Amino acid sequence: MLDQMTAVERFQALAKGEPIDRLPCVPIVGNGAARVIGVKISSLRGNGDLIAKAQIESYKYFKYDIIRIFTDLYQQAEAMGATVYYPEDETAYLQAPAIKELSEIDRLEPADPYRDGNLPAHLEAMKIAVAEVGNEVPVTGAVTGPFTTASFLRGADELIRDMYRAPEAVHRLCELSLETALRYARAMLDAGCAPSLTDPMGSSTVISPRQFQQFAAPYLKRLIDYIHSRGKAVTLHICGKTNKIWEAMAEAGADCLSLDNEIDLEEAKNKIGHRVRLMGNVRPSEVMLEGTVEDVEAAVKKCIRQAYDNPKGYIVASGCSLPTETPFVNITTMMSAVRTYGRFP
Amino acid sequence: MSKQERILGDLAEGVVSMDTDLAVKASREAVEEKIDAYLAINEGLVKGMNEAGRLYEEEEYFVPELLLASDALYAGLEILTPHIVRTKEGEKSKIILGVVQGDTHDIGKNLVKIMLEVGGFEVIDLGRDVPAEAFIDKAKEVNAGMIGLSTLMTTTMPVMKKVVELLEQENLKDKIRVLVGGGPVSPAFAKSIGADGYAENANNAVRVAKSLLAVE
Repeated sequence: MLDQMTAVERFQALAKGEPIDRLPCVPIVGNGAARVIGVKISSLRGNGDLIAKAQIESYKYFKYDIIRIFTDLYQQAEAMGATVYYPEDETAYLQAPAIKELSEIDRLEPADPYRDGNLPAHLEAMKIAVAEVGNEVPVTGAVTGPFTTASFLRGADELIRDMYRAPEAVHRLCELSLETALRYARAMLDAGCAPSLTDPMGSSTVISPRQFQQFAAPYLKRLIDYIHSRGKAVTLHICGKTNKIWEAMAEAGADCLSLDNEIDLEEAKNKIGHRVRLMGNVRPSEVMLEGTVEDVEAAVKKCIRQAYDNPKGYIVASGCSLPTETPFVNITTMMSAVRTYGRFP
Repeated sequence: MSKQERILGDLAEGVVSMDTDLAVKASREAVEEKIDAYLAINEGLVKGMNEAGRLYEEEEYFVPELLLASDALYAGLEILTPHIVRTKEGEKSKIILGVVQGDTHDIGKNLVKIMLEVGGFEVIDLGRDVPAEAFIDKAKEVNAGMIGLSTLMTTTMPVMKKVVELLEQENLKDKIRVLVGGGPVSPAFAKSIGADGYAENANNAVRVAKSLLAVE
């Protein structure tokens, strides 16, 4: 079952309401791309050439439909002063927030994506990927949402308490994070790359829908409005439980909701599919990491059955980033399953 | 309403309303009025925390509310705990708790710690990024009955399996129960690695822990 269109052609046809050969499919590979070129994840740090090479080779190997230049969620916060720990061969994590006391907010500044942290390297990777394969596959750059970045600047436990104790401080941190995100998005767009948003701390697994409306959504909206003004559609990924914020995500301007395995795609289709494209939600851990190829096929079939007819379109995807050690055969099975069961007559 | 009833009510209200000032005020009053500290804690503060837990299950309260409620709880505990009359009620069961090596997401683990302490366990919190060996070493050192393992990431789940394997190697599997939880963790995974129990959230963790340790 060979593709008859490139990914770019497929998405262009989708946008125009023209026929496509099959549903798009995106196993969200992340740092697993390092496994494709056989390098340690820590070697990607600050190395635009290598990040690009890993993501391009991964795309060429699996032939999925979107390249996402992404190493971890912390790059913007790190560029603003947060301390990130880089294990030798695993995804980085937050070691320490940028500030210990709220009084230190005055010392924080938005980052310059051409100068601070590893942002320049990521931009370089995006430029390379766009030049090499941008004519056949959309190249996106991961942007962490302002509220989530604020949580890395302040510390998650503290920030969520601050929503009650010091809400103005939360807004200040979000404002700073938004400015960084806007600058980063602008630089990406200038490099020919489309920003793709992730805002996990906005999940209802963590905060209430009302808190999402108050603290996360306004900043997402301003960021999305900017990206729209540059002519690009926006995919917004929020992990975990999101049923009660789907409306708010659409209100913020998201064109496509990338949803996790905890939600039901059919329910999403019925509730919000008339407004937004949907993406998701094969289980990254139980199915893609630990499952057999039969499990992968069954999961893909189920997703397709649930959402193939979503009014605004549907992209088969993993519910979240794939674990680094996801077997290659499961990813290729996901693609071949979509090529078989996600075909349009 | 008697004075004692009013104070117990304020203690509970202080916690469930996330009102640290009220919890502190009521705790001081309880001490002044010579209300039994253990009673004040269990029928006051803990009752409020259990109500907060119920609201969390019902999706009225979320993580921020639980954390703030627990802040009020701990503020009250700080005042009341020194006044507990030690009876022969027996030793608390000990649980070693931590986020496994390679992971630092600890909001969930912190909530579990609070709820387990509220539930009457003594929790030794090893923090985050904890190697498998450290859980075993500490459990042996303090004679713990249970190890609680948390992770939010799929990539670090193998560490949980390693903890179970180490226990088996040292013939401690029957003495020390293993309870696992976290975003990507599932009952199926727990079973596949030989863990004794799985809990979906902080509230359930207490219930499962109690049943695993056959504590009433």
